[in-house]
Parts: sequence; structure tokens; C-alpha cells
Amino acid sequence: MGLVPLGFVLLAIQFVQPVRNQSAQNSEMGIASITRVPENVQAILQNSCYDCHSNNTRYPWYAAIQPWSWWMASHIKKGKAELNFDEFGKYSKRRQLSKLKAIQGSLEDQTMPLPSYLLIHKGASLSLSDQKILKEWAEDVRNEISK
Amino acid sequence: MPLALLYQPVLQTLRLIFIKIDTSKPYQNMKTIILSLVTISVLLTACNSATDKKLANSNQTKTETTDQNISVSKYPMTEVIDGYLKLKNALTKDNDKDAAAAATELIKAFESLDKKLLNPEQTKALADIEEDAREHAEHIASNSGNIVHQREHFETLSQEIYELAKSGSGQKLYYTNCPMYNNNKGGNWLSETKEVSNPYLGQAMLSCGTVKEELN
Repeated sequence: MGLVPLGFVLLAIQFVQPVRNQSAQNSEMGIASITRVPENVQAILQNSCYDCHSNNTRYPWYAAIQPWSWWMASHIKKGKAELNFDEFGKYSKRRQLSKLKAIQGSLEDQTMPLPSYLLIHKGASLSLSDQKILKEWAEDVRNEISK
Repeated sequence: MPLALLYQPVLQTLRLIFIKIDTSKPYQNMKTIILSLVTISVLLTACNSATDKKLANSNQTKTETTDQNISVSKYPMTEVIDGYLKLKNALTKDNDKDAAAAATELIKAFESLDKKLLNPEQTKALADIEEDAREHAEHIASNSGNIVHQREHFETLSQEIYELAKSGSGQKLYYTNCPMYNNNKGGNWLSETKEVSNPYLGQAMLSCGTVKEELN
């Protein structure tokens, strides 16, 4: 008997969708505006990080289903607040250095990409060599910026 | 003689306030009158002394606040530095919960810092580090249970608080280095004591470190 009202609720919430994280604008103040981003690095970032840490998320078909849609929107909001590669050029030098250090730390601890993200996006998982490429690139940028 | 004149009016007043008055018993009535007058005068005296006490207390508080204002304006960053030192001490004891709590206090100290009290050098230093320092403090505050992550943020925070302290903190501080932390890349911190208590390695190697610089 309780399933019918639940069904109605589930149906009703499908009509309440959060705004999508998509921007047609060029990321003028993105990370590429303050440093060189090699192609291989860009490919890894785009594939494994940008869904939560940029102004453009790739939405699969099932992303429209509630309540996952809300859950995703919450992750994206938090991720962007924490680090947004498309706005990186706007950060103060200090914040840029802190974020690059945090990227290295997260890769080292394997806390990023989020395990829950990797469950659904198996293609986004980082091989050891991917991690090494990113960590070394971050180190180079840190040295470059601190001069 | 004049008191006798008051007898009837007082009696009538007492009747008005429903106190049992039997006019055939003047002795009883006198007792009631005296008792009522005594009660009223006691109440009035009590009220007065209570008001006096309140006035005395508020005067005291005023003096206390003024004294506080004087000490804060000498060293406006004291609360921020003290908040940082509390966090540092929690990490020396490997206490992630206390570290998180101290970080929350540090954020509050930043918020309540009266920027008008800072000199130009201090203002510049604060403007430079405040945003990032607060972000590190926020991370430490929300990572109770992950002391490794707290220490990562503590490292950059220490650098920033050091720069702030250099601009004029008023208290004696020791900038100390641990060469072993972070795969021998090393890490620095500010201490209120010359004696080394390592916040990066904690109880595992508490005395590891050397004082590099004395501030103030």
C-alpha cells in the first residue's frame, strides 16, 4: 500500500530538475591562461576531473533521473567550489599554489577521482602512469608560479 | 499625636487591599498596620539594593571591556596567532578532533579581527594571506578523522601565519623546521616555545626539529 504514494513521489520529483552545469563560453580564465597544459595532461583532466571541476559536465542519459540528478548536482557544486579548472586563472597566486598542492595530495592519497564517481565512470580511473604525469605536471606548474 | 490622625486613613487603605480589619479590635489592627508598613519598607529597601548591585555590576563590565580594548589594540592579531598555536598543539598530540575544533576557532578569530586596528604592513600581509589561510583552516576543521590531510593543509597554513606574524604580531614566536616530514621535503611551523614539539610527526617523533628563526 505504501508503494503507491512512493511511486507518486518518485514520479513527481522527476519534474524538478536542477540547472545543468554547461557553459557555451570559452574558458578564458581557465588553467591554460596561466600555464602550458600539455595535450596528454589535458586529456586526463578532461576525462577524469572536468565533470565536477569545470564549467562543463558531460551528462549521460541516466543523469536526468531523480534523485540521482540532485545527488550529481550536489557533487558538481561542491567540486567546483573546491576547484574549477575553468576559473583557475582568476584565483590568487596563493590559492593556485594551494590547489596544485591539493591535486598532488589527492592523487597520492587516491581520494580523487571520487570512488563513487569511478563506480559509474570506469573509463575515468587513473592508471599509475596517469597519476605520475599529473603529479609531475602539477609540480612543474607550482615551481613556475612561485618564481 | 499626629500618628493617631493617620490611624483611620491607613485602616481604610488596608481595608481597600482586602486585609481583614475588625474595627472592634484596635490592638489587632495596630499589629496589622505595623506589619504591613514593615513589609513594604523591607521590599522597597530590597529593590533599591538590587538596583544598586546592577549599577555596580554594569560599571564593572564597562571597565573590563575598556581594558580588553586596550590589550587587543596593542596586538590585534593575538587571537589569530593563539588560534593557530592551539591547532599546532593539537597536532603535536595527534589529536585530530581537537585540531578540527581549533581550526574552527581560528576561522572565528579571523572573522572577529578588527582590521581598523592594523598598521599598513599588517593590513597588507593579512589581505595577502587571509582568503587562503581560511580555506586551509576550513579543510582542517572538516577533516576530523584524517590527520594526514589536516597536516597537509597545516603546512601551507603555517607558512601563511608566519608571513602574517612577520608583519608584526607582538609575541615571541619560534619558526621551527622538521626536515623529515613529507618524504624529507620538510615542513615548518610556528611555536610559542623554544622547546621543539613536532606537529607533523606528533608523538612518533615529538622532538624532531630545529628552530630556524625567532620572531620578536
